Amino acid sequence: MELVRYILRRTILSTFVVVGVTFLVFIVAQVVPSDPAALYAGPRPTAEQIEKARQELNLDAPLAERFVTFAKAMAAGDFGVSYKSRRLIADDLRAYLPATLELAIFSTGLALLIGIPLGVLAAARQGNWPDRLSSLGSIAAVAMPTFFLAMILQLIFAQWLGILPLSGRLSREISIAAPLPMITGFNLIDAVLAGRIEVVGDALKHLILPALTLASYPAGVAMRLTRSAMIEILERRHVTAARALGLSEPRILFGHALPNAMGPALTVIGLSFAYALTGAVLVEIIFAWPGLGRYVSEAILAKDFPVIAAVTMVVTICYVVMNLLIDVAQALVDPRVALS
Amino acid sequence: MNRRHLLKTAALVALATAASSHWNLSMAQGKGSIFTLAYPTSFPDLDPATSFSNDGAVLANVYEGLTRYIPATEGAEAKIEPLLATSWNVSGDGKTWTFHLREGVKFHDGSPLTSEAVKGSIERTKKIGGGASFIWGSVTSIQAPDPLTVVFVLSDTQPLDLIASAGFAAWIYAPSSHDKDNAWFNKGNDAGTGPFRISRYEPGQRAVLERAEGYWGKVPEGAFQTISFEIIEDTTLAQNMIESGQADWTETIPFENLKAMQANPDLRVVVNPSFETLFGLYNVKRAPLDRAKVRQALSLAFPYDDVISAGTMGLGTRAKGVVPAGIWGHDPDAPIPQTDLKAAAALLAEEGIQPGLELVMTYSTSQNLSAVAGELWKANLETLGITLTLQPMAWEAQWQLGKSNPAAAQDIFVMFWWPTFVTPYDYLFNLFHSEEKPNFNLGYYSNPEFDAKIDEAAKLSGTDRPRAEKLFIEAQRKVIEDAAAVFMLDRPNVHIIRSDIKGYVDNPAYGHVTFVNEMSR
Repeated sequence: MELVRYILRRTILSTFVVVGVTFLVFIVAQVVPSDPAALYAGPRPTAEQIEKARQELNLDAPLAERFVTFAKAMAAGDFGVSYKSRRLIADDLRAYLPATLELAIFSTGLALLIGIPLGVLAAARQGNWPDRLSSLGSIAAVAMPTFFLAMILQLIFAQWLGILPLSGRLSREISIAAPLPMITGFNLIDAVLAGRIEVVGDALKHLILPALTLASYPAGVAMRLTRSAMIEILERRHVTAARALGLSEPRILFGHALPNAMGPALTVIGLSFAYALTGAVLVEIIFAWPGLGRYVSEAILAKDFPVIAAVTMVVTICYVVMNLLIDVAQALVDPRVALS
Repeated sequence: MNRRHLLKTAALVALATAASSHWNLSMAQGKGSIFTLAYPTSFPDLDPATSFSNDGAVLANVYEGLTRYIPATEGAEAKIEPLLATSWNVSGDGKTWTFHLREGVKFHDGSPLTSEAVKGSIERTKKIGGGASFIWGSVTSIQAPDPLTVVFVLSDTQPLDLIASAGFAAWIYAPSSHDKDNAWFNKGNDAGTGPFRISRYEPGQRAVLERAEGYWGKVPEGAFQTISFEIIEDTTLAQNMIESGQADWTETIPFENLKAMQANPDLRVVVNPSFETLFGLYNVKRAPLDRAKVRQALSLAFPYDDVISAGTMGLGTRAKGVVPAGIWGHDPDAPIPQTDLKAAAALLAEEGIQPGLELVMTYSTSQNLSAVAGELWKANLETLGITLTLQPMAWEAQWQLGKSNPAAAQDIFVMFWWPTFVTPYDYLFNLFHSEEKPNFNLGYYSNPEFDAKIDEAAKLSGTDRPRAEKLFIEAQRKVIEDAAAVFMLDRPNVHIIRSDIKGYVDNPAYGHVTFVNEMSR
């Protein structure tokens, strides 16, 4: 019962966040010094073309009226058309969002897979070289700027060793000669659905470098958080009791201590996912990854406001939903969370 | 399933994978060939009626207009080449143009090119009224007296053969698409007559073009079968791609990286003139730049050669007034000022300008070259006691400020200009013709004598081009004499291609367009 109330409370709070962001997005767009009509009318419009655009976009209507129109459209999932391309933004999002989510999910997984075991190892060998080494590694991973790491990885694995592709989501032989039908937009899933096993390998190869770049920061954080949580738990009495019972060290670490340290790890999932969504802007440009980040960066440079608004909303919703799920998961893992 | 069985299956899958990817490769490389462009921007609009941006790079391989402009070279004069029209003539008053269409041309949907198709295309383009459709502004009616003859009736005299060669809004497209909307084209559908058709369009990622069957023009043996435009915003990645052979063509490599690329035997750095001129429009409506002598002094203080060497590694060329080289109406002997700080100081003293004058120059943040020009000019002006404040702005904001009240706007408005279609009138009218409400005449220059000259020249451009050219040159000299603007430089077009690519020709009339039809590896 407590849990249900907790979930309900969190959901209502999350809705407020989304409404607040809608309002902020709209206000910011009004403050930015730019003329949407001139943008909409094209690169070198005549005065008549601009006037026509102003009427088409209903820019002369009062602010309040325009906000209501905007909020209604957002609520209905109607993001309108891009000023620059005049394409339906919903269509574009359908193409770009899966690419970013694929990268974000994969890199989050990678971050946990690297960060948590290293954290456990560091805690188990506290003060010894595995601890020092992974602590140093985590600091380096957190401190390294994304763009720099991306270029180093490209240089080593694509240019020198030539074992991983430089950029893109799929090899051009596949995307040009025998393209994958778009079903979910997730290449890995679509390839399996289409029964094209060779494409799965190709998609994975393309995922590694950008995902590794994005995973670096959250992996470092995951390592640090897991380490400190584990150290605290390893000093508890039930662990001593387990030792006294003669349980093997791995069993104590992974069977008894780690489940109790999962709280911080769950926090890292949320952090890592949010980082992947926003950090995608740089990484997607460097790896020519056709996702939301690349889409929105171009929109920002062009002041293509409807696109910026749509992406902001989508990212906000992804983030809020993810956080909600993590809160719920945490409450399930540790019932004390729901009570507080 | 036992373990051995599993291994066997895995081996088979691996083999099949290898075989299928091999099959894919050989299929794609079929007759030798994909031409891959690492293209720096996406393609916002693939509708032939409204496209007015980098999408021209794709459309120019898919669509054709009635004519094509071939710029002047050292050995040859500029000319207008037949494309979908084989010949044309104009009535004595310059208001009725008759084009005879090429026989046997088919659109990609299989329908034939007819005068009705031409009429329908231009009418759709005009009706939507977006992009560069204003080039057809004076067309009052289009007639199709027979299937291969199309007649344009104009409200005033216009060089319609030149207009028809434009890289925007002049495409002819199949009648079956005339009732389609913008979204239909932007899904990757096309309706052209060109050598390629769009076979795959992934917005923001790539456009893939395949040979269109039954193209009317010559296709050399071994020519590319496929074009792949890969959208690569990151210049480092573009450079990696061209160096490793993953791309065959790219541009926007920073000038300072070009030396290393020139030394690479796998690459060819092709430098051509462009039709893009960088200039600063002086605000002639506000003191002290309302006085011609002060403006002349500023132009004398501009470091022309330094900007070319520092900003473009010496690849740019000195701008000879408004109309760049390669376009008819260019004035090779224009009396342009040379950098001369002493003369500038003398002029300023003569005009009673005291040290401490402050001026504001605006330019678009995306234009790196403008920043270089501004910095160097600022240093020179400082020695004359003038403070030049550089104000980089987003283009929309810069333009907005320029269009507002001249008394409160910038002192110097820096921008590039390129022609919508190749005529001196495009430059001179947009930038210097009197405007009641400023649109692109952002120096607010107004001179009835100049206006009369270019208006008359425009009328004559369809019927008496030599006379028109003379008038255009006279008008440009007027602008230079009045120092309405500082003409900084003509930007070079730098493209990098792999050395094994044959048949590459750059045509500055179609900026950043690669006509792939006759190219091969």
